[in-house]
Amino acid sequence: MYRLILITRYLLKRHITHFAIIAVALCVFTVVVVMTVMIGLVGGFKQKNHAFVGDCVVGTESLVGFPYYEEFMALVEQSGLVEGVSPVVKNYALLGTEVGDDDDNVEIIGLDPVRHSQATNFAQTLDFRGDRPEKAFEPMYDPSLPGCILGIDRVSRRDPRGQYVHYDAPFRASVTLTCLPLNAKGALVGAGTNPTATKRFFYSDNIHTGIAAVDYGYVYLPLDQAQLLCMSGDEKRISALHIKFRPDVGLQEGCRQMAELWRRFRADKAGAPNSFLLGTVNVQSWKEYRRAVVAPMEQEQLMLSLMFTLVGITTVFIVFVVFYMVVNSKKKDIGVLKSVGASNAGVLSLFQGFAFGIGLIGSCTGILFGWLFLSRINQVEQWLYEHFRIQLWDRTVYVIGAIPNHVDLSALAAIMGCAILACLIGALVPSYLAVRLRPVETLHAGRT
Amino acid sequence: MLKLFLWLKYVRRRRIMLLSVVAVAVSVALLIAVASLFTGFIAAFERSAVEAIGDIAMRAPEGIRIEKYPEFIQRLEQSELVEAATASLTAEGLLRIEGGNVRPVVIWGIEPGPRTRVVGLKEALICQGKAAGEPSFAVPDAPGKTGGFVGIAVLTKPDEQTDEYDQEAVCKEMLNKPVVLMTGTMELDAKGERVPRRSTIPFRIVDIMFTGVYLLDSSLVYVPLDVLQKELYPREKGPVATSISIRLKPGVDPESAVEQIRALWQTFATQELNWGPMAIGLTAIKTSREMQRLYVAEFEKQKHVLEVIFGVISFSVVVLVFCIFHMMVKLKQTDIAIVKSCGAANSSVIGLFLGFGVSIGVAGSGLGAALGYTITRNINQIEGWIRILFGLKLWRSSVYMFDRIPDQVDWNSALLFATLALAAATVGALLPAVAAARTRPVEVLRHE
Repeated sequence: MYRLILITRYLLKRHITHFAIIAVALCVFTVVVVMTVMIGLVGGFKQKNHAFVGDCVVGTESLVGFPYYEEFMALVEQSGLVEGVSPVVKNYALLGTEVGDDDDNVEIIGLDPVRHSQATNFAQTLDFRGDRPEKAFEPMYDPSLPGCILGIDRVSRRDPRGQYVHYDAPFRASVTLTCLPLNAKGALVGAGTNPTATKRFFYSDNIHTGIAAVDYGYVYLPLDQAQLLCMSGDEKRISALHIKFRPDVGLQEGCRQMAELWRRFRADKAGAPNSFLLGTVNVQSWKEYRRAVVAPMEQEQLMLSLMFTLVGITTVFIVFVVFYMVVNSKKKDIGVLKSVGASNAGVLSLFQGFAFGIGLIGSCTGILFGWLFLSRINQVEQWLYEHFRIQLWDRTVYVIGAIPNHVDLSALAAIMGCAILACLIGALVPSYLAVRLRPVETLHAGRT
Repeated sequence: MLKLFLWLKYVRRRRIMLLSVVAVAVSVALLIAVASLFTGFIAAFERSAVEAIGDIAMRAPEGIRIEKYPEFIQRLEQSELVEAATASLTAEGLLRIEGGNVRPVVIWGIEPGPRTRVVGLKEALICQGKAAGEPSFAVPDAPGKTGGFVGIAVLTKPDEQTDEYDQEAVCKEMLNKPVVLMTGTMELDAKGERVPRRSTIPFRIVDIMFTGVYLLDSSLVYVPLDVLQKELYPREKGPVATSISIRLKPGVDPESAVEQIRALWQTFATQELNWGPMAIGLTAIKTSREMQRLYVAEFEKQKHVLEVIFGVISFSVVVLVFCIFHMMVKLKQTDIAIVKSCGAANSSVIGLFLGFGVSIGVAGSGLGAALGYTITRNINQIEGWIRILFGLKLWRSSVYMFDRIPDQVDWNSALLFATLALAAATVGALLPAVAAARTRPVEVLRHE
């Protein structure tokens, strides 16, 4: 009981302790705000990439692709591991539009919309046919025409706030795609001639994944059309299989089993025509597959956390100094306590409890102000933009909507725990000094 | 003299004062390292553009080619502004490296000699970079055959652990290897309709490029300009180009040179090419830095945001210095009382503690600047040690564009942060100094 009374008294009477609380609160506030925004951005970006890719990709980087995928798909589906598997053709094409003579290079993705919606979030990213992905390649204005899906940045512009102009239905427009069809050896089909690998497609839907490169540079076609345009040979080929595992299958375990399945399949197919193409295929989890885009953000988050750790050391110093002063000025209290029977452990717990109190009050204050700031962060940015044209992220450059401000409770708990721990560490040496004080000396000095 | 004596005594007797020096130093070092990293990255980003396309780049409007470019280059080089200029043709296509291995690439038709005088081409070539003379597409032992340069990341991947390429192995495997480029253009047929026309360019790899910029290393293929022109535009009688890269004479400001080059171009295009004002106006003539401006502005903004975050956190340094000085003043009340009773004025007492604060600031900033300098200059070695000790590869060229972490110190920022740290230490010492000046010697000495 005496410890509680003394802690309360020190907190109220020793104004210097308020500085320790302010320092802790300031650090916690900054960490809460920055980490919430960072966790939101990184988490959102990873989630978009995961949803776009699926759980696992069995694919090749070579534009020639690989054959016998239908047999492997049957094996995958029989394995009982997957919820969906989608064959995809990836290649490049020259895109011509109805307006102007400009041609643009685009990446084309050939897929089966129903299968792809089972393996990824494809259907959810469609603007018009999200509820009926099987109709995604049928233009609403004339379902008999061959359709294509365009990235939203190709049909609509983002305003400075990152908002798109949305239409009720796709407007009538067409694009011409020209590809270089390759045979299984990687050579152009029909050498010496100029075979038509060009086809006109009509705009049937647009896709909005929230990934900049995808939303501008990709054009989606039906799988068979993409195969006709880009690949030739006796065996139908694809570039990749996108797989979604069942909920009870872990990512690592699923990928491991898929790699094993592929290894056996490849061995069985040895000697089949063009089976050398199977050697270029890798089995990767979505994280490995999208590493080039996801890793920088993850590493920035890690670096920021490390820097905050360094900065947190300053808080430890502040707490140390404050406690050093408190112990120095309260030698008499300590002497009296020890002379009436308080144990060393009791004195230690008094100052450690005091440090805990400072950490608790400081971190709660920091979290409260951080939460208040985060709840208004988008309004603050809006106000800054309206009055000073200042934006934290230029929405014409970054595909970011609102600034993430969803407070992660586990992160909050971790930050609070670290702040309290920093206070306990900072108070450790002064507490030990207090424990070592000899009552006879302190009281003697006090009397004279 | 008395002040100096007391300062030395306090530092010697109260080691806690060193904490404030350490805190100031850590904050300054952290801010210098972060600012230098960002500034270095932005500079490398800008420099990579200059090294790839020269100081100023001219690009013809879409669908139009610059005819008679040798004459225009001659006019440019005769002017007082231009050191050298070179033309290029660009297209996108596929590179067949071997059976079943086809990669998307960006094809540049160049003249290696003139290009070396404008951009850093020779330094990027692994074999010819070390040899005397200008680089060449000549195929050893096969005169008349077409040669080409290929980016190293098109042909191989860097080591997963070290992120370094095995240049010797890739040269051994790939040099003199026959490969095929496949590309296409749109041209007008007899009816005046735009139809696709494909081209194949077989060539031998005569050198491999390693620029250190992943985007270039993973996509570029250089072939002779005349060969590419013959394939893409066989009907053109004279030489044509889509862009011209310009290197300015030393001391010429690129921003002001743009207008003069535009005037030269206007005269040439009107007189020699019979271009209309619209086509002349649509010809992009920009400094390489201007082309990157949008992204550079975003990088700058992120740098400032990070500086503000760390600046706010570094405010805790002010609190720490305040706490330490407050403790100092409380513990040294007797000293202050004696000094005052000997006739020292309040201003002298303020000067004593404020001067001490400034000294702490100077020592902390100096130490922090030295630490920041050491960290920044050795950042690549530090990253290497982290990889060896923890198996964590923080920097990858495929992720962060460049193969090395920028390691040049941003002295402007360093000076700014050192000054701010000095000011912070002074502010932190101000209130305790005033409190010390308000000490009443009678009361303190009576207790003694």
